Amino acid sequence: MSELICVGAIAGAFGVHGEVRLKSFTADPAAIADYAPLCTEDGAQVYDLQLSREIKGGFAARLTGIRTKEKADALKGLRLFAPRDRLPSLPDDEFYHADLIGLHVVDTGGTELGRVKAVHNHGASDLLELTVPGQSNTVLLPFTMDVVPTIDLTAGRIVADPPEGLLD
Amino acid sequence: MSRSVWKGPFVDSYVLKKAEKSRESGKNEVIKIWSRRSTILPQFVGLTFGVYNGHKHVPVQISEDMIGQKFGEYSPTRTYYGHAADKKAKRK
Repeated sequence: MSELICVGAIAGAFGVHGEVRLKSFTADPAAIADYAPLCTEDGAQVYDLQLSREIKGGFAARLTGIRTKEKADALKGLRLFAPRDRLPSLPDDEFYHADLIGLHVVDTGGTELGRVKAVHNHGASDLLELTVPGQSNTVLLPFTMDVVPTIDLTAGRIVADPPEGLLD
Repeated sequence: MSRSVWKGPFVDSYVLKKAEKSRESGKNEVIKIWSRRSTILPQFVGLTFGVYNGHKHVPVQISEDMIGQKFGEYSPTRTYYGHAADKKAKRK
């Protein structure tokens, strides 16, 4: 099975007829249903998912095999995962955050700068947050063609050309 | 109440000086600023500013649609890590 990506979590039961309160982590919250069936982190349980309606903080949903409130309550806190290969392919220069996180970042000379910890967007361009080896603080790198000219997902490596003063 | 038009947009003078110096040098560098209250002007388009958020300088590459906003709007002061899930990043 390919890598699993967390797409949602169960916040508890909704109502008394076995529905669950589902929190979606996807960019479009309703898109979580497109990735069904979803599984648990260890892949032991697989649930098909049907969204009933939108509620405060998420969705009311029905999972296969969950027909009572007690069973729905027992799932509280369970995180739901989808295989990476179920995400649609993207055009060039668009990347899933899940693919970028964990990649090694090196400069044009081959010196390691750090690893991608997270991807942010504060309204300007996307930013890669790097953990720098031997330092507790992180560094932000603009995710642009100039600063990040090469991304090699198969090798797990990003080549960056950070502007002067960015890593100080 | 909004700012009077006759005053023009507010920009800290040191930001203008730093931006002008960077543009003249033509170097690809991050202009570190602490002035979150300054307005983004048309002459800043294409430059990269490091806008302080109380902790670090967040790189902000200025584009045309950011003119008239304040620098601080692009440098949040609180950290939030969501889930990656199916979120995408586009390299511009």
